[in-house]
Amino acid sequence: MSELEALRRWLDELRATVERKADGLSPEQLAARSVPPSDLSVLGLVRHLAQMEHYWFVLTLSRADEPQLYMPDGDWDAQFRDAVADAAVAVDAFDTWRAVRARADTVMDHLEPADLEFVWDPDDKVGSVRDALIQVIYEYSRHCGHLDLLREAIDGQTGE
Amino acid sequence: MSDMWLPEDQDPRTAGNPQGEKANYVEYLANYRLTLGMKCDGLAPEELATRSVPPSSMSLLGLLRHMARVEHNWFQRTAQATGEDRIYWSPEDDDLDFNGAEPTQECVDDAFASWKRQTGAAEEWFAGIDESDLGRELPIAGHPDDVVSIRDLVVHMIEEYARHCGHADLLRECIDGRTGQ
Repeated sequence: MSELEALRRWLDELRATVERKADGLSPEQLAARSVPPSDLSVLGLVRHLAQMEHYWFVLTLSRADEPQLYMPDGDWDAQFRDAVADAAVAVDAFDTWRAVRARADTVMDHLEPADLEFVWDPDDKVGSVRDALIQVIYEYSRHCGHLDLLREAIDGQTGE
Repeated sequence: MSDMWLPEDQDPRTAGNPQGEKANYVEYLANYRLTLGMKCDGLAPEELATRSVPPSSMSLLGLLRHMARVEHNWFQRTAQATGEDRIYWSPEDDDLDFNGAEPTQECVDDAFASWKRQTGAAEEWFAGIDESDLGRELPIAGHPDDVVSIRDLVVHMIEEYARHCGHADLLRECIDGRTGQ
């Protein structure tokens, strides 16, 4: 398995983990700030992960001219703050996240192994294609840690 | 979570742009090891051992013991087939890493020493691995019919650290309100 295939497999596993951690929850449970004082919720994290994948794959790697998701006027906290207990908000978050994942997959389908070496900014903290992919995996992993504890506090469910 | 744990000029983590696959893994792994340690900064043994996000049995001290065990399991028992027993594990208690986290200075000192020993040994082993060798497969300790590539082992460690740093984020926020990446 190549480096690119391995990274993609890790990313797919992490996306599936997020699906499992959110599975079967009501809008109220999805929006619950279940580990106070943290303002994180399962729904807020799904919105954030959609924004994060969109940022890396669509805005950064594809250079698309679109606004960042769930951040009106650059308001970072809106991703989490506006994750309210409303069925339409929940449906929108999951639809958006899955649609972004499909776009991200298309971007990765067009990557050749050598593209991982491409550096667009040697001075940027994350400035190469390889670095961006590992950053996405890291983001998912850390937020899966948040989801583990949020979900356990909601209904006791644990597990990978 | 957009904020950072420390001001940039005090942050020990590197933000270079290492070239090549192995150099990237080395930097990510080093940074997440540092992150877990930073999440424990300035806490007393009672705070480190507290199960601050009930009903979870996790604590920051339990996470340190767990990562010492995970580093040892992958970088010693699997990567180097040392044949050693797991650490912070017993046949009676598979969760001894978390369950044995006691609010004493002795337990804290032991956990930090053990974790540092394991990360040092892991770094030493990985330093000797050639970039071209990342696809080489190793038998998994305790699972002789399964193999793992060196690449998967290291990416798994990065993912494992990141996930536990997520746990550490919430455990710490519930102890004293401190947040940050």
